Amino acid sequence: MTNGRQIDKAQRVVVTGIGMVTPLGIGREEFGGRLFAGETGIAEIASFNTNAFSSHLGAEVRNFNPRDFISVKNIRRMDKISLMTAAAARLALNDAGMQITAENRDRVGIVLGTAFGATDITAQFLQTLFKDGPASVNPILVPNTVMNAAAGHTSIELGFRGVNTTVTHFAVSAENAIAYAAAEIRRGTADFIFAGGADILSEFYFQALTKFHALSPQNGKEESCRPFDRDRNGTVAGEGCGIICLESLRSAEARGRHPYCEIKGVGMGSSPIRPNVWPRNPDGIQQTLHRALKNAGIAVHDLQAIFAAANGDTHLDAAESEAYSQIGGSPDEQPSIMAMKGVLGESFSGGGIRACAMALAIEKKSLPPTAGLEHPLESLAFVKDEKKGLEIDNAALAGISFGGTYCYLILGR
Amino acid sequence: MKKRIVITGMGTLNAIAGNADDFARALQEGRCGIEVIDLFDTGGFRSQTGGQIKRFVPRDHIPPEFSIKRTSRADQMALAATIEALRDAGLYPLPEALKEKTGIALGGGAGGLLEGEEFYKDYLSHPGQNAKFSALASLFCASSTDCIASVLGLTGPKSTFMTACSAGATAIGCARDFIADGHASVMITGGVEPMSRLTFAAFNALKSVDPETCRPFDQDRAGLSLGEAAAIMILEPLESALQRGAKIYGEMLGYGITCDAYHMTAPDEQASGAVRAMRTALQDSGLTADDIDYINAHGTATPVNDVTETRAIKEVFGKRAYEIPVSSTKSMHAHTLGASGALEAIVSVLAIRQGFIPPTVNHRQSDPQCDLDYVTSGSRKADLRAVLSNSFAFGGNNTTLIFGKYSEKGAAHD
Repeated sequence: MTNGRQIDKAQRVVVTGIGMVTPLGIGREEFGGRLFAGETGIAEIASFNTNAFSSHLGAEVRNFNPRDFISVKNIRRMDKISLMTAAAARLALNDAGMQITAENRDRVGIVLGTAFGATDITAQFLQTLFKDGPASVNPILVPNTVMNAAAGHTSIELGFRGVNTTVTHFAVSAENAIAYAAAEIRRGTADFIFAGGADILSEFYFQALTKFHALSPQNGKEESCRPFDRDRNGTVAGEGCGIICLESLRSAEARGRHPYCEIKGVGMGSSPIRPNVWPRNPDGIQQTLHRALKNAGIAVHDLQAIFAAANGDTHLDAAESEAYSQIGGSPDEQPSIMAMKGVLGESFSGGGIRACAMALAIEKKSLPPTAGLEHPLESLAFVKDEKKGLEIDNAALAGISFGGTYCYLILGR
Repeated sequence: MKKRIVITGMGTLNAIAGNADDFARALQEGRCGIEVIDLFDTGGFRSQTGGQIKRFVPRDHIPPEFSIKRTSRADQMALAATIEALRDAGLYPLPEALKEKTGIALGGGAGGLLEGEEFYKDYLSHPGQNAKFSALASLFCASSTDCIASVLGLTGPKSTFMTACSAGATAIGCARDFIADGHASVMITGGVEPMSRLTFAAFNALKSVDPETCRPFDQDRAGLSLGEAAAIMILEPLESALQRGAKIYGEMLGYGITCDAYHMTAPDEQASGAVRAMRTALQDSGLTADDIDYINAHGTATPVNDVTETRAIKEVFGKRAYEIPVSSTKSMHAHTLGASGALEAIVSVLAIRQGFIPPTVNHRQSDPQCDLDYVTSGSRKADLRAVLSNSFAFGGNNTTLIFGKYSEKGAAHD
């Protein structure tokens, strides 16, 4: 992937379909419409009672009716994360103009990223085990306690029999999944891979996040998600699933499909910090971004936009914004920076949803606005209002995780 | 030309051995580690046995300068196996200049669930009290990856895979690709799976465990035995291994991943997914069915797996299926789920390096539907050119790995 122009079309990986089930909407029309209009998916949590907590906001998926997407016979075996994943994958499949047949199904795969999997089912299972004893455990729940359940159910529902993998590496789960999927397409082990991320907001998980002091409000300030803002005070918990359909440029052209964008480069890295803490300095972030640029064969000034990882956390946002402020290049050459978690919350595998947003942005030649940003940490080219008429040759998707893991993807037209 | 990638170090902790050398001996002796579990109370369950790592003292393996505060049993097992593997590869301590080129890809399973369960039990029995959520700090399996990278000071790529019983194998495949694609020059890869109540309860609830000891390919087999393990190997490009004069255990030749898309917990009886995984791996390795000298089977000893896998092997290898020794080492170290693909990768590589075929132990009565050579009367000496290892999982995930004997010319060209 070192020089996109010179590589043959079988080696170039493109995005030809997107599908999402998100707090901002389901499917590209609703999601894209609300995202670019600057609407928010954050509201008072409705699916469980938050009275006992200091945080009450969440970015929940609403009005999701699995029956619109999934066959009745499979629905009853599926849990929330599997339903969202199968629905998003079906949307991506339809958007890509694909149909699964006996001829192509062995070469269609899914690579899903999930940070925490089915935390609702795991809690339910353990509750029965400890309260009522081993004899009361429900075997029907068992398959869904495993993190690869969502990809497994999705494959059964849609008939994907090729490469099937679940990546779970906290907040880079989706980015790592997409990177792996792109590599598999290039290696020729599959013709189509549906890749992205899915995580859900469960009560137990929400409670754990509050106990780990991850959520807004902190410092006695108002509860809100304000990425890169000096007044940020923690993130807001989110959920959702975003899936992109990857195939080679040769395959897309043969099918007469115009791709949204190309996956031009991947960079991965880490910094040796303690597990569970967000990075305290920009070193690993910068190093990884530069690896991705090098992998794509481009320089900083070739980058028009960065879809940031910032989520309102004190340390994450400071480290990420410092990294971009030292990225090099003259001020007018610096990439536009936008953060989506102000409207989507932090779902940890939200890189899948952000990848869908990037595909739309590249197609629309427009960057969606960043919500919740009033007093930026650094004077970077933040996209406060929708930025229109921008040819996006190259944009970076930032994957940054607590525990010091990074994955940057370079997407472009 | 494809970059050749070799194994230069290995480390493991499992029910039958506390390191890789001992593991090779145990496999040749046919040592069985399936015994009564004392890690937690197994009262009320169908089975009380498993392949538990007994007498695990983390500090026997992990030097005092590495903090293991707030780490789980899984983290400690994985770290111990990693240190052994790096030392074995002559890369411990890891040279400063290699840190940014060294990555880690692990297959995980229950992670810190054993500790998480203690917390959850406490939390349920004292509602409203301030339960110590810090006990969940290492709950998820990616924590083991982060823990190792942090302790060793790595700045290369990190990834964790969770595809149930094929996770360890999948991680090794991905690690190979990270090197092939230039993302890393050295990969620490493998899998870790600790025993946990949830896992134990889950397999008991599904009635897929044998109440006594698993008997792969036996007519009376009644299910699997659960186990735990950490299994780590060091992968690097052949050139750099030769350059630094490293011991070369064998070559990572290829892998294949497929999905049944059939049922969440039962294999497709047509075995299409398993067949395609083996074929994809052969293709990726540039080998044919004639080049495989030993198959390390998934061989869980559930009634359906062993018949299905046997059918799949026949489909891929044709008449030759009857000539290739096939064994399930799960009969000795038990089914270590997320670690099993990696543990059995180590079995495969040890078999190649030391020239033996490990047996299937506990076998008493032949099953007419399982009619291959399962190596049921002890290990054999053999010169192995290439070994194929299967891992099939819940969710219909199938991963097949192929390892080869190292020779200058390449695998199967002796």
